Amino acid sequence: MVEALAVASGKGGTGKTTSTLALGMALAEEHDVTVVDADTGMANLLFHAGLADVEVTLHDLLVAETDADVADATYERFGMSVVPCGTSLTDFAAADPERLRAVVADLAADTDVLLLDSPAALGSKSAVLPVVLADRVVIVLQPTIPALSDGLKVQEYARSYGTDGAGVLFNKVHDDRAVERVAEKTDRHFDGPHLATVPDSDAARAARDAGEPLLAHAPDGPAATAFREAADRLAVRDADADAVAERFRSAVVPDPP
Amino acid sequence: MNLPRGDPVYARVVEGAGVALEETLDRGLTGYVLLSPGDALLSRDGDRGVLTFEDGVPVLAYHPATDRGGPPALATLDTPGPVRAELFATPADALARAHEADPLRVPPGRPAERLADDPALAERTRERAPDGRVDGDTDPVAAFLDDDEALAAIREQARDEARERADEWGLTEQLDDGT
Repeated sequence: MVEALAVASGKGGTGKTTSTLALGMALAEEHDVTVVDADTGMANLLFHAGLADVEVTLHDLLVAETDADVADATYERFGMSVVPCGTSLTDFAAADPERLRAVVADLAADTDVLLLDSPAALGSKSAVLPVVLADRVVIVLQPTIPALSDGLKVQEYARSYGTDGAGVLFNKVHDDRAVERVAEKTDRHFDGPHLATVPDSDAARAARDAGEPLLAHAPDGPAATAFREAADRLAVRDADADAVAERFRSAVVPDPP
Repeated sequence: MNLPRGDPVYARVVEGAGVALEETLDRGLTGYVLLSPGDALLSRDGDRGVLTFEDGVPVLAYHPATDRGGPPALATLDTPGPVRAELFATPADALARAHEADPLRVPPGRPAERLADDPALAERTRERAPDGRVDGDTDPVAAFLDDDEALAAIREQARDEARERADEWGLTEQLDDGT
């Protein structure tokens, strides 16, 4: 059984990485979860997961003629398998986005739920690949016009590649009433359910500073509770792992030489 | 939309449309602003859009290449990165004819919200707007989600862009052609 979910937003600063790790930890209570930092140009998951000092990351798997094995870049943390990405721009430049599909295929063969923390913008091939590869996309929103507008764009990209909507998550919300006023209207325009409204929280910032996912740092706070609700509503689907792995391997037609 | 020729008062590449909107508000400009994506090397003629202003407050938005007006034109003008802004001043009565085009009108605060993600600038703009033009009590986010035409324009643009880029990135075969 495996399902790949991309966590995306189309806009920076919505808290995608916090959301990815929080959903991952919540889903790990019932499933075998692997989280991948697929934001290869602006990686930050390593800081949220206490992996800032590790030597091997996703970048090492994406360069040509690498000796690194997927297992070398996979770390067991907080009840999940975590594949962080490095922050070096030189490594990013050397990385071949095409190789992501093979990495994802290897990981998919051995997990229940694969969560891909996706880049904020959709302006490059490496940025759009997580949405192409995923079965479904979770769109992280804030109740503002630009965030909703960019969320719609992500949804349209996902639809173009046959990737379903898993639902929307309102994150870093200052005023619950702002979401209440627009939630019904949002449902009309986005695929999938309204997964949760996560209040803005100092705990999320403190968790990041401590190098821990929110659900490890403040497991009983209102934000953590909301993320658990969202994970419950995601209703992970069954799929044949081999078929999914094969799909990833063949997912992207390589560029002509 | 036919606009009178205005006097150029400001032209530069700025980090985003918000800078141009603020400049326009601070100057109390009556006239129009041409906006185009800032990287001249990548810019195409069809990328340019126009906003008209009375006393610094936006009145109309229009994107000639797609013939979109009003809020849908703002969706088209919302591009990431720097923007080339050119401000032109005109006499107030010179715009009267153009301003009869109701379908091109935008709520005064909408460009600042939509193009600049700047609620404070939107609020300042609404405060400057004459009584008949304020957005009223409507929540701008709710109004945006009710604007089916503007949302359809965003979706259509994203779909076109997704297909265009799929071709560029060798992902065409991954596209869901609905079969």
